[in-house]
Amino acid sequence: MRCNYCEWRCDLSAGQAGVCRMYREEQGAVKERFPMQWSACSVSRMESMPFYHAHPDSRTLTIGTYGCNFSCRYCSNAHVARRDPLEFKAEMNGMAPEELIRMALKHGCQNIVFNVNEPAMSLQSLLKLKQNADQAGLPMGCLTNAYTTEESTEILAAIFSFLNIGLKGFSAEFHRNYIGIGSIDPILRNISRLAKIRHIEVTTPVIEGVNDSELGAISEFIAGIDPDIPWHVFRLLPEHEMKSVAYPSIERINQLLQTARKKLSYVYFHNFVGSDWVNTVCPDCGTRVIERFSLGCGGDRMDKFLCKEGNQCPSCGRRIKIHGRPYQTDVKEAT
Amino acid sequence: MSIVIVDAREWQNMLDLKTGEKIQVENYSTEILRGVLQRHHYPGDVDQLSNRWVSETALDLIGQYHPQLVCLMYSRQYFISRFNPLSETERIRLLEEVFSEVEFMLAQSGYTPVIVGTGNLTEHIAELDLNGLDGLAISGNWSARYAGLHKPTPKDLAYLSTLPEIERIAARQELIDLFPGAECILERIPEYLLVAKEGFTFRTSGTPGRKIYRVPGISYQIPVATPLGNVETITGLRKLVRDNLKDHKIALIILEGIGEQDFRTPYSASKNSMGWYYYEPGENQLLTMSTGTQQVFAFPNGYNYLEENDNKEFPFSGYFKKIPAGTIAEDSGFRSIAVGNHSMHTHMVFGADICVECFARNLYNQGCMGVIHRTAEIQQENH
Ligand code: SF4
Repeated sequence: MRCNYCEWRCDLSAGQAGVCRMYREEQGAVKERFPMQWSACSVSRMESMPFYHAHPDSRTLTIGTYGCNFSCRYCSNAHVARRDPLEFKAEMNGMAPEELIRMALKHGCQNIVFNVNEPAMSLQSLLKLKQNADQAGLPMGCLTNAYTTEESTEILAAIFSFLNIGLKGFSAEFHRNYIGIGSIDPILRNISRLAKIRHIEVTTPVIEGVNDSELGAISEFIAGIDPDIPWHVFRLLPEHEMKSVAYPSIERINQLLQTARKKLSYVYFHNFVGSDWVNTVCPDCGTRVIERFSLGCGGDRMDKFLCKEGNQCPSCGRRIKIHGRPYQTDVKEAT
Repeated sequence: MSIVIVDAREWQNMLDLKTGEKIQVENYSTEILRGVLQRHHYPGDVDQLSNRWVSETALDLIGQYHPQLVCLMYSRQYFISRFNPLSETERIRLLEEVFSEVEFMLAQSGYTPVIVGTGNLTEHIAELDLNGLDGLAISGNWSARYAGLHKPTPKDLAYLSTLPEIERIAARQELIDLFPGAECILERIPEYLLVAKEGFTFRTSGTPGRKIYRVPGISYQIPVATPLGNVETITGLRKLVRDNLKDHKIALIILEGIGEQDFRTPYSASKNSMGWYYYEPGENQLLTMSTGTQQVFAFPNGYNYLEENDNKEFPFSGYFKKIPAGTIAEDSGFRSIAVGNHSMHTHMVFGADICVECFARNLYNQGCMGVIHRTAEIQQENH
């Protein structure tokens, strides 16, 4: 029996656990090995995920599980994503959907974001959580590598109304050598599909001398789908097998992004303290419309939302792409 | 105004510590700091050279700024012990490395030491999951045995009282009464403080996902080693250091996660507690040493920091909303520096003229950061 959640399409017969080790076969069906077991549950800001154009400045309950279907040589979450989930059995945080929702409401969160590992590893749990989140009026978002099959991409879209998709490079060679997958095509297919039906942002971690030469092709591809898709270029501080690789030069990478800025409306360059490239400027007139502050890795915040009613540029009136309500200050009370 | 220089390797940024706004100041002190940050890239919290980075950065600063007081924090052993399964042999080697590093630093600098261990570590036994409570439980990232309980229901309290791993459920007033006269903002103190038995920790939202192996253990007193005299309680450290500054160049050396059990040089024990409460390593303990007054309520254990963390001033300073007053180096009348590899503690708790610290989040290395607290007073001709 095959698992069709991602493009590995692993054979789960005879007790095999698949590449991600998160699914197994049970009575002729694919079942999660660790349903409703979470590796993380904490409160954060939407900008830290990062989402810069979805529910600005909102407070979010961030969650994650275990396992991954990629083998990124620079993984910064290897302690969770790259080990057999069974090793974490004792620490797993077992929480039913209603408990997670209660947690979100207790903390005044306005949405939930799955951001630790790949959501395709836990689709069944997330589908259940989605039902409760809908009842509580909490939208769900995620970070995904989009290496899902066409069927499960639709499941992702059914669960998540906003997605940040990691497009880590543009060549098959890079994906083979650094990510451990054979083809980039399914990712590109899914980005195109998800952009049509959901709010998406794209994130590209850049490693100098490895994938910086692919930035032009990536921006070209995104612009071909929709130039208003926000693109986050992350200065990657490699971990795991690539810990000793030099940090990318901020000046040089920024130079490389100049061409992309002509093609795309919203190009951000961050993941380092005090980045100058985290503000949103109006693509038409250059007025600063959203100001942010970056503390680097997972520490971004919104400072000022300067758009007019209807998310319009205060100077020229151009509509700025925003999903969800900005300034969600209406904290929900726990029930 | 305090100036921040962030060094993300090959790229520096100057900002105002309070507002986070970019600024441009060029003077003697910024020139020193820029150079030091450029020369000493932070290797990472658990890197073999992490503690050596503290020594070398401090020695570079000493060579240029000639301070009378040097405050140093060595934390690598704390991070490694917390997140890695260590055999006893590995653990002992780690401790020996820390003390050799201190010897190296003292031999190179010639400063008179005041060495303080922040407390014992102990094997982590298990987590107590508080996520299912009706009320809100909060345990800080680094805390072991304390959690705050906000708006608990009678059902929550009844349930918690049945847990054998919980040693004490202290009502807010009980904690306040333990420290008469200590400054406190009532609303920040949780309604109840939960105290776990040694080795147990609390799981609440925000508890990091990493597996934990060793956590702060019982440390009613902590070791202090110095030829300058004994201090009965950690509140006496400030006076001891300041009284001796006119005759001695002093290195106040904080060794994180090392208590009486593992201290490698002769020491005297200094009281780190009040009644049943003892300080775990962290900002309250450091502030108590630095200000000479009990700072248990500066950042009360288990306070709901999530409520307060939004878009505040001092974006580089964690929970801090202002620069603490009365710290050991502030108004000492002498030049001072601080260097440490446990992030913002270094620039906020000692009040030194120039501070350098790592900039890491959850062990991810982002570079390092320098702070100049007193730029106006720092003049080239004064040394
Ligand atoms: S989700 Fe996991 S088990 Fe299923 S195909 Fe992908 S890697 Fe294999």
